[in-house]
Amino acid sequence: MATRSVSPGGALLRASRMFSLPAPIPAPPDDGAAGNFFSNTATLAFPTHQVITTLNSARKQGDWGLKRPLPLKSTTKSSNPMIRVKAIDTIEQVTDFTSATDHGMTLRKFQELGMPITMRKHGTDSSTSSMSLPEKSVFENQYDFTDIHPDERAEALDRRWKFTGPWLAGMSPGEFNEWLAREVRPKRPQFREFLKKIIASEMHGTLARAALDRGESPPPAIDPTSVTDDQLIDYVRKLRHNNQALYDMVGQFLDLAPLKPPTTAQIGLPSHNTSKVEYREVSNPYAEHGPPITHPSAGISYLRSSMYMENHPIYGPQKQHSAVVARIVRPRRQAQAVAAKLGLAGFIVDTPLGDTAANSKSASKEIYDRIDPTIVGGAKVWVQPQKARVDSKGRVILTVSEASAEATLVAQELLGNATCLGAPRGENELSRREMTAGSLRARYRAAAAPTMSSAQDYGLLQ
Amino acid sequence: MSCRQWLSSALRQCRNTFPDSAPGSSSGPALRSRNRAAARSGNINEALQVMVADGLERGGQLSAEEEQQVMVDSQRGLGQHLKDLRNHATTDNYLRQMPRRWRTGDVYAPRDLSPTEMSKWRQGRKPLKDVIDVFGFNPLDNYKNFSLISEFMTPMGRIKHSAETGLRPVNQRKMAKAIRRAVGMGLHPSVHRHPEVLRMSRHSMPVSSIPQSSDSSQSRL
Repeated sequence: MATRSVSPGGALLRASRMFSLPAPIPAPPDDGAAGNFFSNTATLAFPTHQVITTLNSARKQGDWGLKRPLPLKSTTKSSNPMIRVKAIDTIEQVTDFTSATDHGMTLRKFQELGMPITMRKHGTDSSTSSMSLPEKSVFENQYDFTDIHPDERAEALDRRWKFTGPWLAGMSPGEFNEWLAREVRPKRPQFREFLKKIIASEMHGTLARAALDRGESPPPAIDPTSVTDDQLIDYVRKLRHNNQALYDMVGQFLDLAPLKPPTTAQIGLPSHNTSKVEYREVSNPYAEHGPPITHPSAGISYLRSSMYMENHPIYGPQKQHSAVVARIVRPRRQAQAVAAKLGLAGFIVDTPLGDTAANSKSASKEIYDRIDPTIVGGAKVWVQPQKARVDSKGRVILTVSEASAEATLVAQELLGNATCLGAPRGENELSRREMTAGSLRARYRAAAAPTMSSAQDYGLLQ
Repeated sequence: MSCRQWLSSALRQCRNTFPDSAPGSSSGPALRSRNRAAARSGNINEALQVMVADGLERGGQLSAEEEQQVMVDSQRGLGQHLKDLRNHATTDNYLRQMPRRWRTGDVYAPRDLSPTEMSKWRQGRKPLKDVIDVFGFNPLDNYKNFSLISEFMTPMGRIKHSAETGLRPVNQRKMAKAIRRAVGMGLHPSVHRHPEVLRMSRHSMPVSSIPQSSDSSQSRL
């Protein structure tokens, strides 16, 4: 069947968000850290497809705003209607869709934590940064670039996160060789032109300075085409002995992502040679671990700061944000020196560092050591989320610390599981309340806006 | 405290067994009591040995009272060690059914913790990337690299199929040629792994499973 030609306006509408779902983004890169063990149906580290939902009344009729109504049997049972559409139309004339509650609910749970996405500060070592003070938000004006003029790229080198060229430290030798052959070698003539432009501007700079010293007006700009090949060859010869200048020019020409300068041990040259090699300090926050594959917030949180106090209607402003429950997804194995892994809001997080319960060996902390099938719903601990960042592969890395006893008690009281100062609720009141799924969910749902909260939001005054 | 508890229970037992004699005058229960005291103070292995020895010493089956006593014992003193052992066994059994190695930043939904999903993490798959392309070397230049050659051979000396190695046809042919070259030059054994690889693999083996040859001259690899 021949495709009907559409008008420009029609084509624009068809490509718009109103009429078409966005194309799926590439799946998270597999770095092979899990070895050859793998499941092709496991939840990905980030969603690749748009999650769509619909209103309840429309859902009862199978109306999801797609080409055809979706089957009621598989879409009306869920209490959280979320699907992802793999194909609007297939050759079998069905819409290919699956449930998207995995990523949708993860996003909701993450947003309940109220965590801003922060950025690794340059110069902080990875071993010490986890203990440091709150970091900068990725939405700081200084670092938040989404569109940048090509001429301003070089100035913003220390702050940008998006580069057209690769991050060389993340390439394997094979990839590097292929990139050299495919991308770099054909650009030799352009690089010579680029160098000629630099030579012309440098020559013009020296002439202008001399003229300024003599009190004359600056000479006109030099045309780059007037730079001779001999001048170019001389310049290249000089450049070869200045690593930093050469790398700066190559990096600017290919728009390479900045690299952390190697230490003297990593260079591998004798010490009398390393003194000649000088590197400029790089202050780009992504120089050490590579630039992110998305915007550094990954769109998961748009908060700027977590530096606010939560207010409790009875106890007043709280020193810490409310503690949250984390699941012990995998207990620690002391024989193999494997630390426990926690699951917080659907993300796997590391146990808190330092002198904490997760690192102590006493018998009272054996919840970290074993799987106890008698615990209904699995073993859980109270933690305090500290900060969140998105790493260069697009994974959300949460950092948690141990929740203080007070924060835990207050959080438990909000759930109705403990009493600190207030009188315990009457038994008859508890028994009167119907334990439906909806009331349970409402009980466990955190207050939406902690700063503008009332006693009712906390479920304390009825 | 548990020792005192046990002593009082032992005393009661002695009185039941020998109602007319003074407690502690008979040798049998006293011996047993010594054994059990050792069990309580010592480590778990000793305790188990003592339990076994106890059973042997008795010879016959337990009376109803003794069975009750053993139950009480296992619940109290010895019990802690046994409980620990049982907990470890339970944890190991559950962990064996959860082979996924979680990494920080993974996203999980309840489905990812289910047995169906977990069992998938048990199976391996062939490498998705061609390692020779990734590292950008020529296998034919590396025919002397026995650890590389061993990676692409089975333990019985056969060249692995490309379905296992994940190499693209060009690299698989080059790798096979390098293996044949190494074997043909006598640099690499053709029916077992390279002796150096075998020697290194011995480091991770338990000592008891390493065969010891009587002649020291034969143990040189």
